[in-house]
Amino acid sequence: MKPPPFDYEAPTSVEEALALLGRHGEQAKVLAGGQSLMPMLSFRLVRPRIVVDVNDIPALAGIREVDGTLAIGAMTRQRAVEQSALVRRRCPLLADAMPQIGHFQIRNRGTIGGSLAHADPAAELPAVVAALGGRLVVRGPGGERQLAPEEFFVSYLTTTLEPGELLVEVRLPVAPPSTGTAFVEVSRRHGDFALVGVAASVTLDEAGACVGAAVALTGVGPTPVVAAEAAAVLVGGRPDARALEEAGRRAAAAVRPDSDLHASAEYRTHVAGVLTRRALARAVERAQGGGEAVTP
Amino acid sequence: MADVVAAPEALRVVGRAVPRHDARDKAVAATAYAADWALPGMLHAAVLRSPYPSARIVKLDTARAAAMPGVAVVLTARDVPRNTLATDVPGQTATVGPLRATLHVLAEDRVRHQGEPVALVAAETLELARAAVEAIDVAYERTPGVFTPEAALAPGAPQVHAAGNLLAQWRIARGDVAAALAGAAVVVEGEYTTQLVDAAYLEPESGVAWIDSDGVITIRVSTQVIEHFRDVAEVLRVPQNRVRVIGTYLGGGFGGKEDVTVEVYLGLLALKTGRPVKMVWTRQESLLARAKRHPYRMRYRTGATAAGEILGQQIELLGDAGAYAYLSALVLLYSTVTAAGPYRVPSVEVQARVAYTNNPPTSAMRGFGGMQTVFAYESQMDRVARALGMDAVEIRRINALRRGDRLPVGQVIETHVALPELCERVWAALEPPTPPRAPHVRVGLGLACNLQPYGRIVWLHDWSSAWVGFEMDGSLVVRCGVPDVGGGQASSLCQIAAEVLGVSLERVSVHIADSALTPLAGTTTASRQLYMSGNAVLKASRELREQLLRVAETMLGAEAATLAMTGDLVHAPDGRTLALPDLLRECARAGVPRGHLAVYNAPAGEPVDLATGSGKVFPDYTYGAHAAEVEVDTETGVVRVLRYAAAHDVGRAINPQSVEGQIQGGAVQGLGYGCMEEVLVEDGINLTTSFATYLIPTAADVPDVEPVIVESGEGLGPFNARGIGEPPIGPPAAAVANAIADATGARLTRLPITAERVARALGRLDGTN
Repeated sequence: MKPPPFDYEAPTSVEEALALLGRHGEQAKVLAGGQSLMPMLSFRLVRPRIVVDVNDIPALAGIREVDGTLAIGAMTRQRAVEQSALVRRRCPLLADAMPQIGHFQIRNRGTIGGSLAHADPAAELPAVVAALGGRLVVRGPGGERQLAPEEFFVSYLTTTLEPGELLVEVRLPVAPPSTGTAFVEVSRRHGDFALVGVAASVTLDEAGACVGAAVALTGVGPTPVVAAEAAAVLVGGRPDARALEEAGRRAAAAVRPDSDLHASAEYRTHVAGVLTRRALARAVERAQGGGEAVTP
Repeated sequence: MADVVAAPEALRVVGRAVPRHDARDKAVAATAYAADWALPGMLHAAVLRSPYPSARIVKLDTARAAAMPGVAVVLTARDVPRNTLATDVPGQTATVGPLRATLHVLAEDRVRHQGEPVALVAAETLELARAAVEAIDVAYERTPGVFTPEAALAPGAPQVHAAGNLLAQWRIARGDVAAALAGAAVVVEGEYTTQLVDAAYLEPESGVAWIDSDGVITIRVSTQVIEHFRDVAEVLRVPQNRVRVIGTYLGGGFGGKEDVTVEVYLGLLALKTGRPVKMVWTRQESLLARAKRHPYRMRYRTGATAAGEILGQQIELLGDAGAYAYLSALVLLYSTVTAAGPYRVPSVEVQARVAYTNNPPTSAMRGFGGMQTVFAYESQMDRVARALGMDAVEIRRINALRRGDRLPVGQVIETHVALPELCERVWAALEPPTPPRAPHVRVGLGLACNLQPYGRIVWLHDWSSAWVGFEMDGSLVVRCGVPDVGGGQASSLCQIAAEVLGVSLERVSVHIADSALTPLAGTTTASRQLYMSGNAVLKASRELREQLLRVAETMLGAEAATLAMTGDLVHAPDGRTLALPDLLRECARAGVPRGHLAVYNAPAGEPVDLATGSGKVFPDYTYGAHAAEVEVDTETGVVRVLRYAAAHDVGRAINPQSVEGQIQGGAVQGLGYGCMEEVLVEDGINLTTSFATYLIPTAADVPDVEPVIVESGEGLGPFNARGIGEPPIGPPAAAVANAIADATGARLTRLPITAERVARALGRLDGTN
């Protein structure tokens, strides 16, 4: 199908974009990379009166390191993040997740902010931000606010972004030394949304004991699921096979996925456990200096 | 005259991987596909379709839609001169009776499946046409439906059609199966389930119709069958010579464009409005409404001796025809004839039935009933081998059909069967084995063979015709009514004519698929076009050659039999040559035609009573063997096909590049069938009407397929070629299932083989599903 008719504006500054969004409120949709919005328009799943294209706002793109965080502009292309040496060095979990988003053709257009604001329950980026406890920087008529993932993601394709607001940046904490990360997923096909995906990060001390761990899952609920109980198993000791098994069990116990056309809830729960164990194992291995492992 | 069926090394054009004339056009987007056509004043058409799988139409008021500005016409069943499309199925069993498969052009009082066409609109723009479809006032009263063939055949089931839900049945009984199984050292039982799948071609159903000079209704359409001009004429109640179908190069057919698609609607709308009309189905419409491949439930019992010889096989097949008959009875016939595979099985019983339901209709799709059974008979073969501790190649070598053997239906195999060689070639192609890359991963190998008929059933008395002729400058023209679905149908004909008449391929022009202007060649289905039209062109070329050489004989003073035609010249034995334009000028002067029409008739036969196993059903078969190496993640069930090799005996490869394309494309489509694709239908409602939900493999999801071309020099086609259009889609699902069994011991019996099903088979999940 073709989209229903809509008006189109392409502002060149954030202020101009906010003015347009303020004026049109719920009638407006923001066009970032267009990798989700354009098909939704074509299927007429959304019928905005106006599309506000933010691709001409240079200030929204870019990757910077500020005060121990990596600040990534909302309009930064996913491919740029994937190829960024700074991201690989400072936020390896994000780097791990990037190649699993769609196909590279999609990542050439798709943006960091677009994917986060779209809030697909099986997308990779929300899980990364949730696992790392990142912040989503939102600007609106009332100024700027910074939201934790649990304050931002509400449900399927739903966030707390208000009409008139724009996601402008995401901030992710820089990984401490001796941190290993992994993002693993199972999908029906190469490049499809995950049936289950797991983001994991593990930090070790000099003696090899775990001083920090984080796990978040995607595809197993309406929002990314932070499996704190699973991560907690590892903290305080040397992560061994038994601890990893237990972490997997706890992750499986923590999720309540739905069944859909592509997989049953039972399968997703099972895979959540397996992939949590594997993601943590790989993260530990990398934290121990196991180098660059390949994605499964 | 020299025998032009020479050894391969003597051929100049045939047997070479020459670039196809259509390839460049497609690569640079210069091909004018059906939807690329436009004419001044053209209207755009849209279809109103039923949202319900089973309902009565209680109200259908088109007044508001018809009154919309810009709407040219709104049509319902009442406006269709003859609202029935019909196909006769010859030789149907006594129980069901002779079958006349009928279909309403537009629904009358009832709809029997979701997506069934109810009304047509033509308007100035596509947007208007769609708006008018939405403005049609239609009301339905839902009626109970049946959604599985088992439910359809149960007593008291709602009847989809008045004559009952059993659409067709076939039976083969050869030998004493009960005794054979009783005397077997090993008996393996299996039940296999295959799913509903879609042809999923890139190019949806599309075409443009207009009224040409002298009132001829002309329809330029994406079709595998230009002979549907007759169906259009019947529906319109106009003489058959007043309808012309021009077939375009197709963006895929796979059997989905064998039945009528848009051409009848276009003919109706052009006739009613007198204006050009275009109709292009959306992807959703195509996935919703197009006939699909039959889901089957198959039960097999196979008995073998301790040495691995198959003694008997008892087979039950049950298929889902959906709401209308289309070609279901014939699809089931193909399944019945191929049910025991390419093996010598002394005792066979096949009971095959297909039932109406309120699901999407099913009909032709690449493999045509020879497809589903491969999954069952090759899984069985593997299980027998495992039960006996035998090698996969060995058990197939022992049981492979050989020339002179009989199929269960009684047909004697008259050509070479290269099965053992094919098995060895693909098995060797996957050496050495890939080591597992992680402790949770197992790697295994699977082999699967098949046989697929090429050419139509012999009692249909199939024929094809072609015209081949020179222009005065020595360039060559081939005219043949063949639709080119992308397999190189047209370019292969050019190679054959160029070979026989000694012209370079660039000097050949081919005109195809015009029911008014090209000699009729029959359908591009049943892997028949290279075989049938290739033979017609070969015959026309040879006869033309004789005709021309009789003139050259006088000019060169050498006997025709000693003359050669190569390099755009006629060569005398003493080295003298004659340029083609000189020869053709002399032909013109002497009144000798420079062109020739030939008809090729396939070997014909009388209808066979399958039950008594009395004889020949198909002209011949193409055999194949595929091997897959898979990696199974034993925890998540994720299966990756690491390497894949596919071998077919094509008799002679006319264009090896096209043959490789068919083998690779078929194998990938077969892997999609095996591992991924499924039209999900819930109580008659299709849940997978986009490519976000109906998953087909992309290039990233399949390994390189290594094609292995075997040329036995035995086939009924030109230069002893066999058909290769359908055969390569058959084995992949079974090859993967057998490889998974090899890797893990788990036997997958339901398609598609998803990660979840593998995890379940490996005991990783508690529940049953």
